[in-house]
Amino acid sequence: MSRTRQLIDALREQLGGSAPEPPPPPLPRVPEPPVRVFPRRSEGTRYARETAAHTTAVLGIGQVGTRYATDVVLQFQAELAVAHEAVGTELPEDWPAQNGLLGLRSRVSNHREFLLRPDLGRLLDEPSLALLKKEARHGVDVQPILADGLSAVACMQSGLALLESFTKACQARGLTVGIPVCARYARVWLEDEIGQTVGAKVAAILLGERPGLGTGDGLSAYLVYNPKVGNTDGDRNMMSNIHPRGTPPAVAGDRLAVLARAMVDQKRSGVALDLSRLTAELGEAASRHPRAPQVRVRLLEVEK
Amino acid sequence: MILEPLPPRILSVQRIPNADPALLLAYGADPARHSSLGLVTVDQDDPTYVALDEATKHAQVDVVFAKSFYAGAAHGSGPLSGEILGVIAASDPEEINEGLKALVRCLESDARFYAADEAKKTGVFPHVISSLGHYLSAAAGLSVGAPMAYLVAPPMEATIGFDMALKAADVRAVKIFPPPSETNFASAWLTGTLESCEAAAVAFCEAVVRVAASPKGEL
Repeated sequence: MSRTRQLIDALREQLGGSAPEPPPPPLPRVPEPPVRVFPRRSEGTRYARETAAHTTAVLGIGQVGTRYATDVVLQFQAELAVAHEAVGTELPEDWPAQNGLLGLRSRVSNHREFLLRPDLGRLLDEPSLALLKKEARHGVDVQPILADGLSAVACMQSGLALLESFTKACQARGLTVGIPVCARYARVWLEDEIGQTVGAKVAAILLGERPGLGTGDGLSAYLVYNPKVGNTDGDRNMMSNIHPRGTPPAVAGDRLAVLARAMVDQKRSGVALDLSRLTAELGEAASRHPRAPQVRVRLLEVEK
Repeated sequence: MILEPLPPRILSVQRIPNADPALLLAYGADPARHSSLGLVTVDQDDPTYVALDEATKHAQVDVVFAKSFYAGAAHGSGPLSGEILGVIAASDPEEINEGLKALVRCLESDARFYAADEAKKTGVFPHVISSLGHYLSAAAGLSVGAPMAYLVAPPMEATIGFDMALKAADVRAVKIFPPPSETNFASAWLTGTLESCEAAAVAFCEAVVRVAASPKGEL
């Protein structure tokens, strides 16, 4: 409705006219939306409930109307925050030296470049290469490498424990182990160049894994026989979710040593490695059957 | 009474829910986007142009056809001809219904001529659109939502009125249509701030009333 009516009313009065015209009919009312109460539907089926107990993933969460319930949203945000923080954390430059490790770094110059240039994270820079050649024990069976990967938090939390249990377990199985090194800004494939340089039979890189929802502190381990630049992921064996709520570092070190021993014995790794005779030592990890359900514990629990 | 409203009479309102493509093309619609038409004839053309623009603000409709008839409503070709045929087009008959509702509401209570003399012989249309829809904004070359004063009167009254309006406020002439139009009126579109447009419309209306009251000035 324009104001023209009022303007002309005022002008009419000013020119000596009579009373203004009656007000225009009001605009039609827009009806109120119906009041609806959306009950929380989190109960779901028994199947959904039982499935949700076996994973830290956000499953079986029900809905409120067309949306998630508030506690689900809060849980999601809290877990995402942990993941963001883990990605954003850097391994301090002096951390390897403080923990008695030989400090190396890739060709990446800063953290942002590390996230954007995986190719640079797969090669050692010149000083590190020279240092490695000079300091390392050459011709060993296993060269362990601790690294930050995508979660320096995980590396600092349980990296040393995993490195120690892995080294001890290897030695217990009669393997010679190289001096422990720690690489900053490292990607998985960096193990190829390091292993090749020291002439190790097996290179094992233990590094922080890509954080997911509620797993900012997980380590992964990648083992490769006959490390050389140009190996592919098909040549590697890996183990993920090494953290207190997944596979604890002590158990993981033992299993990784079994893998390393098998690689040295079979002179191969990756897809070609035969794990069928190792079921006794690796347990269900080497079995071809589905894993038995385990109750999972979340890194974070938001109050409901 | 001076400045008495002269409400427009809506002579016919019709809908074509699924128009023939040939008809759509002939009336300026795009068969790819439009399938329904809403048609209206009214005995005042300028309020109808404003009301058609109003419809575009309330529904997803396009004004595809709006033309005044020669010599005005007093010389219509039939009892339903009036002074103008306006056509809105949409992809959906529901949009046409909503558009027509807004159009009729505007004609019944907002856009109308006023009598500039006691005898109701002189009509003046001093309308201010506070926020243009996409029909008149495109026609005027202004942006959607801009204010515009839409001023119409018979040739002599209008010409004096336009001058007064342009001098009364900080407004700019978007278009001036000198006589004769199809209906033998003269009209102008002015823009500026909303307050300027309102001041210009009031000055225009006052000038038309003055000319109507004293046609020969001081001679």
